[in-house]
Amino acid sequence: MTANTLVNSKLVCVALNDKSQLAALQDTFNEAPYKKPPTEPVLYYKPRNTWNVDGAQVEWAKDFDGNDVPAMAVGASLGVVIGRETCRVSQAEALDFVRGYTIVCDFSLPEESYFRPDIKGKCLDTSAPIGPEIVPADTIADPDALTVTIHVNGEQKSAFPLADMERSVAELISKISWIMTLKPGEIIAVGFAGDRVPVARGDRVEATIEGVGTLTNTLGGA
Amino acid sequence: MRHARIIFEGRELDIDIDANDRTTTPDGQELDVALDSDDITWLPPVKEPGTIFALGLNYADHATELAFEPPKEPLVFIKHANTLTGHKQVSYRPDNIEFQHYECELVALIGKAGKNIKREDAMDYVAGYTVCNDFAIRDYLENYYRPNLRVKSRDSLLPMGPWIVDREDVADVKNLRLTTEVNGKITQDGSTKDMIFDIPFLVEYLSQIMTLNPGDMIATGTPHGVVDMQPGDTVVCTIENICSLETRIVSEKEYYGDKY
Repeated sequence: MTANTLVNSKLVCVALNDKSQLAALQDTFNEAPYKKPPTEPVLYYKPRNTWNVDGAQVEWAKDFDGNDVPAMAVGASLGVVIGRETCRVSQAEALDFVRGYTIVCDFSLPEESYFRPDIKGKCLDTSAPIGPEIVPADTIADPDALTVTIHVNGEQKSAFPLADMERSVAELISKISWIMTLKPGEIIAVGFAGDRVPVARGDRVEATIEGVGTLTNTLGGA
Repeated sequence: MRHARIIFEGRELDIDIDANDRTTTPDGQELDVALDSDDITWLPPVKEPGTIFALGLNYADHATELAFEPPKEPLVFIKHANTLTGHKQVSYRPDNIEFQHYECELVALIGKAGKNIKREDAMDYVAGYTVCNDFAIRDYLENYYRPNLRVKSRDSLLPMGPWIVDREDVADVKNLRLTTEVNGKITQDGSTKDMIFDIPFLVEYLSQIMTLNPGDMIATGTPHGVVDMQPGDTVVCTIENICSLETRIVSEKEYYGDKY
């Protein structure tokens, strides 16, 4: 496990929170195995072995035969850092429970199915860098007005305005707090652009949110 | 030896329990209390819980019961410490649901870090065993990362304990009777021999994906025989030679109190 990560005890990620991605997958989600589109936020955890820091290398994953996997991808999200115990809060009061904001990258195998928990794709060691720091909540007037960009080797590959999220930051905090009590230092990655960015061994990945910072990591295996 | 965490006479204690049920603290103090005493408040037995891996559909008869083909690869999902509670504590039934069931499961506690662990070496990484009750709220199932967090990550719905039994004290973990009683009546009666993916397989499988760390736990799934639970019910999950875990079901209102 990487020491000194910014996250404490739990990193909850929200999948399928990009409106255009949901629209594009509408037909798929009406078929088996899904049968109908999701009615609640689609959530997954990045467990503690995945947590990583700004500037660090992200391991290139191996398959079960010990060979390098053929492809990996990255998404980047605003990370909402919980400031105090958050239990069954309303959407209206949800942002009062936020201590600050950071950036979360989710390196994974390419997303192919959302049917079963994607342990093989998402739980890779060092695959969730968080940082570069936590900026205080009062420095961000409206978290839903931010845009998350990803640059790979200096070239912009993705720009995701959080206004395009299906559910807002406040709605997600509220919804999640009715499932589980959140504790100080726990982080919610509220949404990723539907199109994950393909990455290659040795790539330098920068995820940026204006006012929050730039999180920089390099893929291993080169 | 067995290991537990309790509150006794106002103090939070890590205790060892020997074969004669003698209870001692780390500084050697022997506690003058019986294990079934109401003076003991049982806490979840793992002091610093890490990642909790749980298995779905890992007994063939239970998979059939839920109208699924037994899986060819483990169905693993993750839980965190917010779900944990101890022996003789309460779990809640959400309002306005139709079906909440218990799942009596054998838990393997990881004792040392490892990656790419071979099946034949896997047991060296297991510190001990306990019992958990991995409750599910079936009304909340959706076909996205199923079983989704709304079903499986709720506060208090993973009672565990009362204690960890050292691995070397359990002779045959692959052949233990597993029973659940609801209000004194047996509703689930199986054996760990019917597990599809056993502990060495699961340790190898998970450690090929990621590093396992001390404090991580693997809840190995439940056999056939799940029934609905209502507030006021008492459920006892027992695995032979490990322990018996008792839980009382309360309403959502009673559980959350002022926060309801």
